[in-house]
Amino acid sequence: MAAFTVIDHEELTGAAASWTSATIPSSYDHLYLTISARSSLGTSNWYDYVDVQFNGDTGTNYSSTGVYGQASAGSWRTSGADGLDRVLLINADGSTADTFGNASIWIPNYANTANFKQVVAGFVTEGATTTNGYWTMGIGAGLWSSTAAITSITIDPQNGDLMQYSSFTLYGVTGA
Amino acid sequence: MAVIEAISTTYLEADAATVTFSSIPATYEHLQLRCSIRTSASNRASVTLVFNGDTGTNYTSHRILGAASSVSAGGWSGLAGLMGVEGTGGDSTAADYGVVVADILDYANTNKNTTCQFISGAKIATGADLFVHSGLWDATAAVHTITLDGSYNSLRGSEFTLYGLNSS
Repeated sequence: MAAFTVIDHEELTGAAASWTSATIPSSYDHLYLTISARSSLGTSNWYDYVDVQFNGDTGTNYSSTGVYGQASAGSWRTSGADGLDRVLLINADGSTADTFGNASIWIPNYANTANFKQVVAGFVTEGATTTNGYWTMGIGAGLWSSTAAITSITIDPQNGDLMQYSSFTLYGVTGA
Repeated sequence: MAVIEAISTTYLEADAATVTFSSIPATYEHLQLRCSIRTSASNRASVTLVFNGDTGTNYTSHRILGAASSVSAGGWSGLAGLMGVEGTGGDSTAADYGVVVADILDYANTNKNTTCQFISGAKIATGADLFVHSGLWDATAAVHTITLDGSYNSLRGSEFTLYGLNSS
């Protein structure tokens, strides 16, 4: 059996408030999600925070931590949040034209009902500049304090909509 | 059809100034490049990554560097290629090769500039350096060629594999 299987893929044909993969089977061991996305948040905004939510849960059940690089390196975290909001950022519409955030998320043991769910992600919001804050990159980790098997994932920019051509590919990963 | 397919592997039987993946099909959704690389530099060095033979100043690179107990970040624009492929150099033992994983998402989408994220690590005389790099090629052309080039040769035993990730 193949180790990787495509569960869902979509490239947006127009703007959308969020993207959801709603029918994730429990038959895989792990999930891997790639994101190439841009937020409509404009003017002088170069990036947008993103809420990653599971099973439609918008309660305060999420904690996340990230290490990021701008002109200097730093870290940030939130707890008791309504989504994983420090595991990845995406480009906003004030950034270099045609440039989309590049991110990937690993979600191990997503269907295990004995454990809370943890994720690890990498992201870049590039821009043709070295000005501080006009680009960001980093690695994030997150915890969803729920033992429920993950059956849906939502990607929701906090301040803008997802723009046309944003794309998402969700893979199921199987062990031997 | 497998979701992840190896497009090409180059294993260097002799030192080489460049390594090129050409005729990359546009049929995948994403690319991933994995490298095990040692260079002819006296110290750890970055090999430049160029798309489609474009050596104009159309690239921007940013990075986080973890070295010993310090962490730093910075960026460079107007480059002639991307940073991020970090190889070991002469200050490490001969069997030490740097490791690199680069994700190039939606590389064939002509509505998007090409962006990359790299994670790499390379042994140095006093320990090892860890890098997270990001890169922008300010062009919407589909990527059909990737060239690894630089001021130094990639040494015998270096290996480069390009994978394609399907989305259906």
